[in-house]
Amino acid sequence: MRPRGGPGQNALAGLTAAALGVSVGLPFLFIVLQAIFPEIGAGSLADPFSHFASVLGADDLPRETLNTLILGAGTVALSAVIAIPLAALRALTRLPGAAFWDIAFLVPFMIPPYIASLGWILTLQPAGYLQQLTGINLAGFLFSVPGMTFVLTMNTFPVVYFALSRSFAAIGSRYAEVSRVSGATPLRAFRRVTLPLALPGLAASFLLVFAMAIEEYGTPAVLGTRIGFRVLVTGIDGSIADWPVNLPKAALLSLVLVALATAAFWVQRRLLRRGGFETTTGRAQLQERRPLGRWRLPVLAGFAVVAFLASGLPLLAILATALSRTISGGLAPANLGLQNFQAIATDSSGALAALRTSLGLGLAAAFAAGLLGALAAYVATRTQTRLRGFVELVAALPNAAPGVVVALGLILLWNQSALPVTPYNTLGILLLAYVCILLPQPVRYTTASLQQIGPSLDAAARVSGASAPRMLWRVLLPLVLPNLLAAMLLVFVVASRELVASLLVLPVGSQTISTFIWRQFDQGSVGLGMAMAFVTILITTLLPLVVLVAARRTEANL
Amino acid sequence: MMHRTLPALAALAILAAGPALADITVYTAGPANLIDALSKGFTAKTGIKVNAFQATTGKVMARLQAEAAHPVADIVISASWDTATSMAKDGLLLPYTSPNAAKVPDFLKTDTAVAQGISALAIAWNPKSGTPEPKDWTDLTGPAFKDMVTVPDPAQSGSSFELVAALEAAQGDQLFKDLAANGAIIAGANADALNPVLQGAKAAVFGAVDYISLASQAKGESIKVILPTSGTVIAPRPAMILKSSEHADEAKQFIDFMLSDEGQADVAATYLMPARTDVAAKRPGIAELKILPLDTDKAYNSRKDTLAAFAKLFAK
Repeated sequence: MRPRGGPGQNALAGLTAAALGVSVGLPFLFIVLQAIFPEIGAGSLADPFSHFASVLGADDLPRETLNTLILGAGTVALSAVIAIPLAALRALTRLPGAAFWDIAFLVPFMIPPYIASLGWILTLQPAGYLQQLTGINLAGFLFSVPGMTFVLTMNTFPVVYFALSRSFAAIGSRYAEVSRVSGATPLRAFRRVTLPLALPGLAASFLLVFAMAIEEYGTPAVLGTRIGFRVLVTGIDGSIADWPVNLPKAALLSLVLVALATAAFWVQRRLLRRGGFETTTGRAQLQERRPLGRWRLPVLAGFAVVAFLASGLPLLAILATALSRTISGGLAPANLGLQNFQAIATDSSGALAALRTSLGLGLAAAFAAGLLGALAAYVATRTQTRLRGFVELVAALPNAAPGVVVALGLILLWNQSALPVTPYNTLGILLLAYVCILLPQPVRYTTASLQQIGPSLDAAARVSGASAPRMLWRVLLPLVLPNLLAAMLLVFVVASRELVASLLVLPVGSQTISTFIWRQFDQGSVGLGMAMAFVTILITTLLPLVVLVAARRTEANL
Repeated sequence: MMHRTLPALAALAILAAGPALADITVYTAGPANLIDALSKGFTAKTGIKVNAFQATTGKVMARLQAEAAHPVADIVISASWDTATSMAKDGLLLPYTSPNAAKVPDFLKTDTAVAQGISALAIAWNPKSGTPEPKDWTDLTGPAFKDMVTVPDPAQSGSSFELVAALEAAQGDQLFKDLAANGAIIAGANADALNPVLQGAKAAVFGAVDYISLASQAKGESIKVILPTSGTVIAPRPAMILKSSEHADEAKQFIDFMLSDEGQADVAATYLMPARTDVAAKRPGIAELKILPLDTDKAYNSRKDTLAAFAKLFAK
C-alpha cells in the first residue's frame, strides 16, 4: 500500500542520494580503498591486499572482536533491564515529577563518556572521593568488564528510555485497555500488546545502544587498558595513533567493525518485517494514564537511584574535581576554589573560543544531519524509486564507523591533490565529520516514527489534492517532528563534544570543546578540563531543554 | 520554507567561522602552553602568524601520513627523536642549520632536525602515599609498592618505549617481571599514568615524563620527581621543516626564534630542559642525569617484539 513513485519523488530521491554519496559514500569508499591499497595516501595503487595476511592472521583480531561483542551485548542487555521498566512507568502511569525525571535522564547524554569514566575513576578508585567520604572503594568492580559495561550503560540507557517512552505514549494505554477488557492482567497486557507494538522503537534504540557501545573509544581506552581489555576501536586507534602508523590495518579492522554493526542492522530489519505497527491512525487518542497507587514510593525510589547513578554522581565528581585547587588535596574545604572557572572566564587558554566553535558546529550539524536524515528516512521507507536501496544502505553506513575512521576517510578523500576546492583544514571538514558520524540518529528516529504512521494518511492527503512536497510538509513532518527534533538535539549534543574525529581533522589554529578538554587531561590539568566539561554540560543541557519546553508548549497549543 | 532556510543557516554558520589562513603551520606534540607562548612571541617579533595543531606525537604523525598527497604542515615538532631519523630517511625534511643552534650540543641536531627542548623519564612519587621515597627503579618492585605503581604504556608513549628498551638492554627483563609480579599496571599514555598517583590511588609512576610532573608540583600537587640513581633515558624533541613547505623562509625564521634567548626561555618555563646549553633550566639539567645508553636503530627494529613481550608480561 505504498504511494507510487512520481517525478517529484524521483527528484527528491536523486537529491538525497547525491548528498549522501558525497558526505558519506565517498569517505567510506576511501576507507575501503585504503584497506586494499596501502599506498593510497600517497596517491598510489601499489601492492593491493599486501596487508591482509598479517592483519587477519594476527591473534589479537579475534580477541578484540569477541571483546567488542561482549561489551556491546552487555551494554544493550543492561540498558534494556534499566530502561524498559522506567519507560513504561513514565509513559503509562501518572508518575509524579515526570518532566523532572526526563531531564535527569537527559543529563547523561550531556556527559561525554570519557569524562564520565574519569569521574567514576576519581570517585571509586582507592583514595577516591567515595573512600574519602565513606572509607570504602569499589576499584575492583570499576576496573572489570562488568564495571565498564555499567559505566557505558549509565551513558546509553537514556537512548532506550526516551525512544520507548515516546513509543509507549504513542501507543497509549488504549490497546492495552482493550486486552484488559478481554481479561488480561496488566503485566500480560503490557507484555503481549504494548511491548510488541513498541518493537520498532525498541529494536531501533537497542541497535543504537549496541552501535554506541561498540564504537565507544573513551571508556574502553580509560578503563579497559587497566585490565588488558582491548576492543576493535582501541585496536584501530592503536594502529592510527601509535607510531609507526598503520592506516591499512586501521581501515581493515574498521571493516570488521562495519561487518558487526551491519549484522546487527540486518537482525533489526528482520525483526521489524514481521508485522505492521501502525498505531497513529489519525483518530484522536485520549491519553489515559494509570495511577500508581501504593507503588508510588518504590517507583519513585527506583527512579531516584538510577538518576543519581546516571547523572548525580558523575556530575558531583566532575564538579568536585573542577573546584579542587589540587587533585592530591582531596575533598578538603581549604582545597576548594574557583580558579579553574576563572581560567575559563578570562579565556587565558582559549576556552571561550573553543566553546563558540563547538556550539556553532553542533548547531550546524544538527540542522544538516536532521534535514539529510529525514529525507533519507522518507526515501527509504515511503518511496519505491530505484535509489531507495542505495539511500538506505549509505545512510546506514555510518552506524558501523567509529569517528576515528570517518575522520580518516574524510582526510583521505579531501586531500586528493586533484580536487579544485576542499573543505579540509576549514571548520567545514568538522561539520562533514559530525554529519557523517551522527546521520544514523535522525534516520533512525524518523524511520521509527514513519513506520508508525499508517500509509492511509499519505493517501488521504494525496486524494485531497496535495502535491508530494506539500503532503510531506503538512502531514508527515508534523507527525515525525517530535522524534526528529529529539534526534537533532542528540546530534547537537554529541557533535558539540565529539572527541576522536575532532582530534584528527581539527583545522589548524582551531579548538573544539573536546580537544580543549583532552589537551588539559593530556597536560595533567585535570581540574581545568573538568571545569570546562562542567560548563559544557550546563550549556548543552540548558539549550535542548529550552527547545523541548518550547516544543511541548507548541504541542499543547495544537 | 523551512527546508530551504535550514541548509542556508548551516552554511552561514560555517562561513562565519571561516577557514583559517595561516602564514606558517606547525604540527607539534605537547605541551600546549609552549606552542601558544612560542607562537605569540614569534608573531609579535615578525608579524608572521602561526597556526598550530597540537596533539600527541602519534596523532601528529598519523595526520602527516594521511595528508601525504597534499601536505599542509611547514614545521613538525615531535616528542620522539626517532621520527626525525625516519622522516629524514624518507627524504621528507628540508636541511637547515639555524645560526642560533650553535650552542645546541651536537647530539641534539642533524642537518634536518634540531632539538627544541629535552625531557627525561623519572619516577613521579606522591609523598602523601605513605610509601618510602624511592631512589631507583628497583625500589618500585618492593613490598612497599605492591599494587601501587603505574607504567605509561610503551605502545602509546614513545619515551616510555625508549626507557623500556634501554633498561632491558642494560639489565635484562627481570626488572619488568618483578614489576608485573608486584602488581604494577599499564595505564594509558603519560597523563593517564600520573592522574591516579595525584589522587593517591597509586603511589608512583615508573617512567613519568618529568616536565608534566614538575609542572604539577609547581601547581601545588603532592608529587615529587625522582631521577633514578641507575640512570634513565632522555627524550629530545626534534623540530623539523618539511621539504614540501611553501613557506620555507618563514619556517626557518620560526626555528631561529625557537632557539633564540626568548624562545628557549619559553621552553624552560614549561620545565623542559632547553636545547641550548647556555640557557638556564628551571630543573635539573642533562649534566646532572645519568643517561642509559640506547641503540635506537636496534631498539626500533625490534619494537614490535619488545612491545608484544612487554604486553604479555603485564597481561592479567
